[in-house]
Amino acid sequence: MNDTLTVLLESLVIGGLIGFGASAGVARMFHAPKVQGMGAFRTLGELNACQNDPVAHFSFGLGFLFNAWSSAVGTGALTGDVDHRIVPHWTASAAMIKNRNLAETLHNPRRMALTGTVVGMVLITLLNTTAASIPHSLQDVAAKVLGPASEWLINPVMPIIFWMAAVDAGRRTGAWGTILGGLGHLVMGNAVPGIVLGIVIGKGVDDLGWTKVTKSLAGAVIILFAASTFLRGADITLLQQLKVDIPHWLLQFHDATGTKPQ
Amino acid sequence: MTDSSTSAPAAAGGIPAQNSATRTPGGFLTKVPGEGSFWLSEWAFPVFVACLAAGIFTGTHLYYVYHTGVFNEVAVASMLKAGMEGGSYGAAAAFGAGFLFARVIEGPMVGILDIGGSLQTGVGIGIPAMLLAAGFTAPLQHFWLAIPVGAVLGALIGVAILVIRRATVNSTGGTSTFGADVMMGAGNSAGRYLGPLVIISAATASLPVGLGSTIGAALFYKWQKPLTGGAIIGAMLAGLFFPIPGK
Repeated sequence: MNDTLTVLLESLVIGGLIGFGASAGVARMFHAPKVQGMGAFRTLGELNACQNDPVAHFSFGLGFLFNAWSSAVGTGALTGDVDHRIVPHWTASAAMIKNRNLAETLHNPRRMALTGTVVGMVLITLLNTTAASIPHSLQDVAAKVLGPASEWLINPVMPIIFWMAAVDAGRRTGAWGTILGGLGHLVMGNAVPGIVLGIVIGKGVDDLGWTKVTKSLAGAVIILFAASTFLRGADITLLQQLKVDIPHWLLQFHDATGTKPQ
Repeated sequence: MTDSSTSAPAAAGGIPAQNSATRTPGGFLTKVPGEGSFWLSEWAFPVFVACLAAGIFTGTHLYYVYHTGVFNEVAVASMLKAGMEGGSYGAAAAFGAGFLFARVIEGPMVGILDIGGSLQTGVGIGIPAMLLAAGFTAPLQHFWLAIPVGAVLGALIGVAILVIRRATVNSTGGTSTFGADVMMGAGNSAGRYLGPLVIISAATASLPVGLGSTIGAALFYKWQKPLTGGAIIGAMLAGLFFPIPGK
C-alpha cells in the first residue's frame, strides 16, 4: 500500500515534467527549422493527419493508450508512444475543444505546455498505478504479442527502413549508410544509429563537400564507434573469434572498467 | 521507401505556422507567444529538454525500484533489465549511447530533436546503464536525486544541440539540411510497420488471438483508424476469453 502511494506521487511529478517538456517541444516543431523543436517527424505527420479535429486526436491517442497500458501491465515498460503519440495528441485534443485555431492551440508552445502538464500527470499516474489491476490473461497477451512485435520493429524492421532510405538517397549516402549501418550493428547492437549518421555525413558531403563541419562530424562519428566498441567489449570478442591471442593489458583494462563481453 | 503520402503533410505543416503567429487574441492560455518570446526563444529549448529528460530519467528510477514506468519499448527496456538482473550493462549502454549521439547530431541539422532516440533511449536507458555499470546506483535509487540528474543531463543535451546548430546549419547559411528529407520519409514509414508486426506476432502466439487481431485490424482499417490500434485491441479481447497456452 505504501509502495502504491509512492508510485502514485512520483508518477504525478514525472507526468507533469514530461507533459510540459514534450508538449512545448511538439508545438515548437511547427516553427522548425527557424526554431529548434523536439518530437519526431512521424509525430509531426500524425498530428497534421488529424486535421485539427479534437475527436480524431483523442481516438488516435486512445489506440496507443491500450498498447502502452498492456505493455505497462505485462512488463513495466510504458512504450515510447507515451511521449511521442499519446501526450501530444491528447494535449492537442484538450486544447482544441473550444478553439480550433491552430496558431492558438497546437502551434502555441505556451498553451500546449500548460495543457500538457495536466494531461501528463493524469496519464502517467493512470498507467503506473492501474497496471496491477488488469486481468492476468491480458498481461500474458501483452507480453507475448507486443513483446515480439516491438522487438522486430527495433530489429530488423527499423534498420531496413532506414537502410533502404539511405540507399535510395544517392550513391554516397548509400555507401556511408551501409558501412556505418553494418558496423553499428556490430558495435552497438543496432544498425539505426549508424545509418542515421551515414545519412547525415553522406548528405552533408553531397551538399557542402569536405569542409571543416563535415570533417569534424566524421571525426566525432569515428570516436563514437571506437567508444562503443570498447563499451560492449566487441574488440575482445573479435580477437577471440579471429583466434588471435588477446593482449594481457587489454583484458585487464576491460576487467578494471567492467566492460568485458558476456 | 520515402512515403510521399505521409511525409507531404508533415513538410507542409511546418510552414503556415510562421505566418499565422501574429494574431493577438485575449486570454492568457490562448495568447500566442511572439517570435522573440520565451516560449519560442532559443534558450528556452534546453529548459524544455531538461524537463522532459528529468521526467524520463525519473521514470527509469521508478522502473529500477518499482519495476514499472520506464519510457521505452519492451525490447529496449529488457536490455537494461538484463543488467539489473546481474548480467552486463554493456549492451544497453552501447545501444543507448549510439542512439543519443546519432540523434544529437541529427537534431540541430534538421530542426527537430527525436525524443525517442535521444531522451527515451539515450537518457532513459543508455546513461542509466552506464551509471549502474560504473557502480553509481544512487541517482536511480532516490527520487529526489533522479530529478536533478535527469534535468542536468537534459540541459546539457539542449545546450549541445544549440552549439552544434550554430556551428553547422547557421554558419553554412542553410545550404544543407543533412538529409532531413530522407530521415523524415524513413521516420514516417517506420510507424506504419507496427500494425502488421502485431498481427504476425499475435498469430504466432495462438490461433484465437491471431484471429482476433486480424479482425480488429480489418475493422479499424474499414473505419479509417490506425490499423495498429485495432490489431492490439483485437488481440487483447481474444486473449481475455481464450488465454494463450503457456509453455
